[in-house]
Amino acid sequence: MTTHQEKNAARAPVYIRWGLIAITAAVALLAPLFLQNYWLHVVIIAYYFALLASSWALLAGVAGQFSFGHLAFVAIGGYTSGLLGRYLDTPPAIGIIAGILMAGLSGLVIALLVLRFKAAYLALFTIAFSEILRIIIKGEATITRGDQGLAVAPLLGEDIISRVPYYYIMLGVLVVSLMFMYWLVNSRIGLFLRAIREDETAASARGVDVVRYKILAFVITSMLAGLAGVFFAHYVNILSPNMLVLPQMGLVIAMAIIGGVESLLAAALGGIIIQISLEWLRDFDTWRLVIFGLLLMLTLRFARNGLLAPLLQWLSGSAPRAEFREDASQEGIRADGQEVEA
Amino acid sequence: MEFFLSLLSTGLIMGIIYALIALGLTLIFSILNVINFAHGEFYMLGGYASYYILTTLTGFNPFLSVLLSGLMGGLLGLLFELLFLRPMHKGQIERPAEYSILITFGLSFFLLNLALAVFGPYPHRPPSFFEGSISLGFTRISADRLTASVSALLLLGSTLWIIQKTWMGKALQAVSQNKDAAAVVGINSLRMNSLAFSIGVGLAAAAGALLAPSFSVVPDVGAEPSVRSFVIIVLGGMGSIRGSILGGIIIGIVESLGAGYFPDPSRAIKYKTVYGLIIFALVLLLKPTGLFGRKEA
Repeated sequence: MTTHQEKNAARAPVYIRWGLIAITAAVALLAPLFLQNYWLHVVIIAYYFALLASSWALLAGVAGQFSFGHLAFVAIGGYTSGLLGRYLDTPPAIGIIAGILMAGLSGLVIALLVLRFKAAYLALFTIAFSEILRIIIKGEATITRGDQGLAVAPLLGEDIISRVPYYYIMLGVLVVSLMFMYWLVNSRIGLFLRAIREDETAASARGVDVVRYKILAFVITSMLAGLAGVFFAHYVNILSPNMLVLPQMGLVIAMAIIGGVESLLAAALGGIIIQISLEWLRDFDTWRLVIFGLLLMLTLRFARNGLLAPLLQWLSGSAPRAEFREDASQEGIRADGQEVEA
Repeated sequence: MEFFLSLLSTGLIMGIIYALIALGLTLIFSILNVINFAHGEFYMLGGYASYYILTTLTGFNPFLSVLLSGLMGGLLGLLFELLFLRPMHKGQIERPAEYSILITFGLSFFLLNLALAVFGPYPHRPPSFFEGSISLGFTRISADRLTASVSALLLLGSTLWIIQKTWMGKALQAVSQNKDAAAVVGINSLRMNSLAFSIGVGLAAAAGALLAPSFSVVPDVGAEPSVRSFVIIVLGGMGSIRGSILGGIIIGIVESLGAGYFPDPSRAIKYKTVYGLIIFALVLLLKPTGLFGRKEA
């Protein structure tokens, strides 16, 4: 652990930092020029996973709530919009709003039920909720079409076949969501959430309304999952209950953890890189996921900050957040043993 | 009435097996303070172990195969415990509560995909214990399920005997009640952790081997029993051994009655696990400590 934290103390030269930012932005904006339809599709799906991984990182890494039901809210968002379109013929725009609200509402109900208790109860309840939602979607096939899949109208209508507009839409959704999450993490709310995560009793004694902020974090991330779900649904145009099997949840968690669960950007990059490598390693079939499963466990055991987060910290030149370390607060010493500058 | 009795007996028969799986989970939680999110995957591996033992060694005793599968599950659990959980109990890992949730979930993701890669997605079914069905007067029950249930009862009984009567079991109880006091009287709690984890997942693997002839094994066969066990341990009270046994039997009966009286029979079986979520929510609303939970929950 000490090795990359010592690296954190160093800063990347400014020209490397801005150079990389410029290159990343250029690659992201110009990708449709040199990617063919197939790989463009892969990248669009990668952005969807990046949104899931980063919003899960906000919930788990910042707010300290370990939910295994993130994909349930994705499905709630997607199916709400899909079912509204199928039965009431609503346009996608209304479906998107309804889907996000429905995900938030379901998140609120679960949060009210579970968040009074220890973190383990949330993990237990959400895993059960997610599995049972899947069973219900599968079982109520007359309404949801079950395993056959629910057809969802394309966002831009049937006439537009090109994937390019969808690419920019998904990129836009991801970037705007990331900016919103960054604002949230660096606001007072983010500070409260981190305080609660480190020590609920202490935060409560300092006047933070613990349950209220925990619920807020859960509802917001549920809505972000719902947002990912509606755009995914209106892009791939078909939904099936298999989208919320537990191995999919495992994959999202692997992306966030391998990237770095305490950094939203690292989690998002983890999502993009892993999704693209899954496609690239297609020849290895199921063994790809075995490898990522092993990597997930090894990252948890030996590199809790993830594999990308330390690199990003070096690039951004920011000091590691001393407040994240339990032993840091009292003595003016960070976990890496260096004295905090006054 | 006859219909009700037949549902009740089916529920009881399944409930005993559920209790066995949940007992393993409870044992792990009460000693290590870890919820094993990979419990269902050990159940799954037990099923595969028994399948490969019985199909490669023809004529091998199926009951010995169950024990052997449980033992293999236990050894695999021991390996995981030593590599990933012991460092946590030695204080080498930050935020252990979060770590234990994520690392066992990670293990479940790893094992499930490993099973998919090695065994493939198609169902495997080991040979039956006994063919046919047995009449209980008011209903007929498949001989395999009845055998599984009676064997589960024996395993349950012997595990309880070990916990209550042997020196080893008393040491486990001591660690579960008070780690520091146990250390004072010379009990090595790290060793008890390994022991409890191995026994706990070994029981899940044995249950998987017991039910494999009835339900076949596929890589994701563990999801349902693991979700069900989570409901059972919350209903019984986290860490309570008698709670998990009673909870298992209650859930078995509720599932059976629920499936029997659900208006639409085509969906009734699929919705078995749904009742569990309703019970989970009710427990959280009405009595969060469960039936026999400790206060701190």
